[in-house]
Amino acid sequence: MSDKPTLWQTLLSVLSSFFGVQSEHNRERDFRNGRPVHFILIGLLMAALFVISIILLVRWALILGGA
Amino acid sequence: MVRTIITTIGSGLGLTLYSATAAAAWEVNLTPGVTDVSRSVFDLHMTIFWICVAIALVVFGVMFWSIFHHRKSRGAKAHNFHENTLVEVIWTIIPLAILVAMAVPATATLVQMYDSSEAELDIQVTGYQWKWRYDYLDHDLNFFSNLSTPREQITNEADKQEHYLLEVDRHLVVPVATKIRFLLTSNDVIHSWWVPALAVKKDAIPGFINEAWTVIDEPGIYRGQCAELCGKDHGFMPVVIEAVSQDDFQQWLADARAEKQSAAAAAERTWTLDELMQQGEQVYLRACAACHLPNGEGVPGAFPALKGSPIALGDVAGHIDIVLNGKSGTAMQAFRDQLSATELAAVITYERNAWGNSLGEAVSPVQIARLLEPSTGEAEQ
Repeated sequence: MSDKPTLWQTLLSVLSSFFGVQSEHNRERDFRNGRPVHFILIGLLMAALFVISIILLVRWALILGGA
Repeated sequence: MVRTIITTIGSGLGLTLYSATAAAAWEVNLTPGVTDVSRSVFDLHMTIFWICVAIALVVFGVMFWSIFHHRKSRGAKAHNFHENTLVEVIWTIIPLAILVAMAVPATATLVQMYDSSEAELDIQVTGYQWKWRYDYLDHDLNFFSNLSTPREQITNEADKQEHYLLEVDRHLVVPVATKIRFLLTSNDVIHSWWVPALAVKKDAIPGFINEAWTVIDEPGIYRGQCAELCGKDHGFMPVVIEAVSQDDFQQWLADARAEKQSAAAAAERTWTLDELMQQGEQVYLRACAACHLPNGEGVPGAFPALKGSPIALGDVAGHIDIVLNGKSGTAMQAFRDQLSATELAAVITYERNAWGNSLGEAVSPVQIARLLEPSTGEAEQ
């Protein structure tokens, strides 16, 4: 387990930071072997996706609401 | 059903606390109002209220049960652990799900509230310190709506009546079953136009125009207030809406226009000093006394005295100018749009001849009417 976190694991860690809960086991793995720049990049990407999904959600709600 | 429960609990409490008569006044809940929107706001409020009650029962129930069941005297041992990801995930997901579930009906109501399209009547609502001005945009009609509660009731020299501080000299008359769009703005500071029965509460902001709308089902009188602290008389600028049938509304429009024309005609005739003084006193109490006080002595440091003032006793042109155009940088408003030529002439005459000011000269309505003419549109009453 001393390997670097995979792309998938990094993504999951970023998502769990969005959610606000992370297991101690994963946190240690990320902090010991991960590189900050990976988390920052994926974090920015996910934030952009989050904003886009909010915009789409609002559009969808407006269509449903008949406005 | 929900409302019956609330009312029952309410009157039950009221009965035990006070008396049978007090129970009738025991109204702590939101009003269901008289429009579609206000009813959905009320339903939303009750739905979320009962969700909160359910959450409180579950959370405090578990808490109290745990405290009681695992008490030390029964040999309970604390289970020491630092973290539990599963529990943390659960206590994050459940509130998230509840919030999303509440957001669905709330969003539906919000979308409805913001859809002011296809309105049949446009009314511009302008906040002033401290009164409201209503412009019926397609009907060439506008007027100010001032508090009409007598000063004696405010100063406790007379008994307060039923609609204390919730009554005005001119109601905002609107037709029922008609989609009305309100365009809200302000002339000075931020006000907020609030009528609980319509579930309309919108800020009136200088330089901005906010929109709100309503369709009133039932004829009636609905009262509201300014809901944004706007200065000394914030509590003295109520909103009174009178919803009438379509026919009555058309009749009222015609009457209001005729009244406006006869007021313009009145300015043409010659007024005696006594007549002007008499009307001037009424106008003064309505439009000026809030700041300059009924005795003309003002509030030192804030609002200048008119009794013995250099302006009220000086050159009449200067006096007329400050009343018509106000004084920038002070609370003195421009009254040229707020009062008719006759009212302006009367109040200026009054100020020059009341409380020991005695110039003995009258300012004629015709003289003022001529001054109001150049800025047509603006000065039109």
